[in-house]
Amino acid sequence: MFQPESMSRLLIVASKQQLEPVITELYRMNIFHIDDYVEKGDGEWEGFRIGMPLAGADVTSAALVKIRSIASAFGISKDTVSDAERSSINVLKQRIEQDLPAIAEEVEKLLAKKTKYESMVKEYEQRIEALRPFIDAPAPLELLQGYDTISFIAGYAKESVNLSIPYEKWESSSKTSPFTILAVKNSDVSTAERELLDFQFQKVQIPQETGSASQVIQEYEQKIEVLNKELAGISEQMETIKNRHEFFLMSSEEFLTGNVEQAEAPLRFATSELTFSVTGWVPSSKVTKVFENLDKVCAGKVYVSELEVEDYNEMPPVEYNNPDFAHPTELFMDLYSRPRYTELDPSLLMAIVFPIMFGLILGDVGYGIVLLVLSLGLRSLVKGSEAGMQLVAVLRNCSISSIIFGILFSECFGFSLPWQPFWLSRHINIGGSGAAEHALEEAATHGMAATAEHVSHIPQLLVLSIWIGILHITLARIWGVRNAAVMDHGHHRNLKMFANIGWIMVMWGILIAIWANFPIPLMPDLSGTPQIIAGLNASTIAGIVILVIGLALIARENVLDLMEVPTIISNVLSYTRLIAVGLSSVAIAMVTNFIAIDMIINPQLANLSIIGIVLIIAGVVVFLFGHTLNTALGVLGGGLHPLRLHYVEFFTKFYRGGGKKYNPFGMVRKLIEQN
Amino acid sequence: MAAEIMTVEVAQASAAGMKAIGAGLAVGLSGFGAGIGEMGIGAAAMGAVAENKDMFGIALLFTVLPETIVIFGLVVALLLMFQ
Repeated sequence: MFQPESMSRLLIVASKQQLEPVITELYRMNIFHIDDYVEKGDGEWEGFRIGMPLAGADVTSAALVKIRSIASAFGISKDTVSDAERSSINVLKQRIEQDLPAIAEEVEKLLAKKTKYESMVKEYEQRIEALRPFIDAPAPLELLQGYDTISFIAGYAKESVNLSIPYEKWESSSKTSPFTILAVKNSDVSTAERELLDFQFQKVQIPQETGSASQVIQEYEQKIEVLNKELAGISEQMETIKNRHEFFLMSSEEFLTGNVEQAEAPLRFATSELTFSVTGWVPSSKVTKVFENLDKVCAGKVYVSELEVEDYNEMPPVEYNNPDFAHPTELFMDLYSRPRYTELDPSLLMAIVFPIMFGLILGDVGYGIVLLVLSLGLRSLVKGSEAGMQLVAVLRNCSISSIIFGILFSECFGFSLPWQPFWLSRHINIGGSGAAEHALEEAATHGMAATAEHVSHIPQLLVLSIWIGILHITLARIWGVRNAAVMDHGHHRNLKMFANIGWIMVMWGILIAIWANFPIPLMPDLSGTPQIIAGLNASTIAGIVILVIGLALIARENVLDLMEVPTIISNVLSYTRLIAVGLSSVAIAMVTNFIAIDMIINPQLANLSIIGIVLIIAGVVVFLFGHTLNTALGVLGGGLHPLRLHYVEFFTKFYRGGGKKYNPFGMVRKLIEQN
Repeated sequence: MAAEIMTVEVAQASAAGMKAIGAGLAVGLSGFGAGIGEMGIGAAAMGAVAENKDMFGIALLFTVLPETIVIFGLVVALLLMFQ
């Protein structure tokens, strides 16, 4: 919790004979994060070089390339294949040797045929297009070319063509841009072409065919039909092959990927003439397992030892260690930056606070239920993508929180539920809910006393959001102290710790000074404390003293940081967005209801007519459109603003990030048996 | 002449109108400012994310920085209208 998984550094050394069993076993365990061996620089060991791939890597790679090209031709992937059954490795090996070449050859042949036919179809279609203008031409195509003294020019003109040289022409009946065929003497061709420019003449090549255009087109169309039939046959054959071999192809892809990764593993190892050695990271709880398993597969001929770790700040890879419900939020952490090994991992806190903030913004039972249904529906859609699953899970948590806050605020699609809001109300009276309550509308919107039902506690809600900000930022600064204590060294460490305390003191000093002078709802009122000097009361002086000490602590670390002091106020006030954005979504919902129901539907219902029914339908459309828009805005606003509060206001106080992802050597097998 | 028409009701109504105008200006102008601020940042952030997808978190962070000012405008408007 709040800390990444604890990691231990292991060194494995053995003779090269043990290379293969060690790699196979490490791959099977899928817990060893390999530190790549670098030949040059600090990590170099004298006499050790990067290893060579295991024998057979190239053959396996070739087979893998074959399988992947077939898979992409079929459009299949691991995620589309059902993982209900698993194939055994021995059977798979045998089939890869026996069946794969035949399947690959068959598919290749079919694909080649398919491409050939498709390009033929395309060519015929192009020819048909070229022939189309000549359908009405007065002469067969062969008579329009191949003369010694006469040339034909065909094309579209803007208007009827009229040339100064002797010519004969034929025009199609179309008025806007008639298709024209001209016969001119060979010697006049260039003159004709120049003059044709005035008619914006677009030349068309005369096709080299014999017979009338419509006849030729018919021939080509028949050919295309035959080809299309062939293509359908090929698709059918491909479909059969796909259905028959889909599982085999994908499971062998998985198997061969594993083989290639294993075969190439020595490229990350350090090897001498007779030995190899590799370092890497393993979760501390699993160290003994690695010891035992390696010892077993090598029959004791391997040396494994846990290395001392000197500097934890940079090196170990980071794996989250959170309870299940916090896993989805890790997405937001990775989006920002993975925590470093030694620093606090805030994902658990974020998993709790983020949905609460979302709920505060979109506290509405109706929208909550819509989003909950949406998140449950999307689950099957994003199957296979881990980030998608995480996002959907976050949406689910947020929508549940929305429903809870909706019950507290007594809101459902901008209507109130049949009970009063608990504690604080966000109900605002926009447009009133009918003529009888018109007076009430005046009262509520103009800030005068309203009846209990329509009192909204907006100032109190804003203060509540400021409280959330104060506590959130104070916590961030406390974590800042902790991170400085663990991650920094020497003199700088103390300065940094005290600077963080200084920031807390400045913030609370300002708060106390404010409380001492202005009574604010939901905040302590210190204005009653006795005055001491110059009209300042005791609390004001206490506040100022705390503030000044805080400033001094900040200045000790870096004087320039004092320039940042005003951000304390802007950061805390930034949390008011929780209420402000929330109120805007309440307002949009209420306005939608007012327009759709009070302005369009209700007046028509009172006096039903045919036009009235149309208007009522229009009203329903407005209602649906308004609420759909507001749901989308709610997700955006409710998601982005809390995210920003975390990233900008919260993380900047303590979080450093930049951790390396824990990426163990191995694979989670989906389609083949474990052993 | 104006003094003769100005009754208490009229004064109250015009005060309420002024409040509404003020609230509108607070949201509108601050939105305008934030828009101008985010214009350049947003374009640059898009470029950065296109170059390197890992920049998304930081890019989003910088893009939304100026929009705090709208929230302040919104809060001022809310306080004007509902206090």
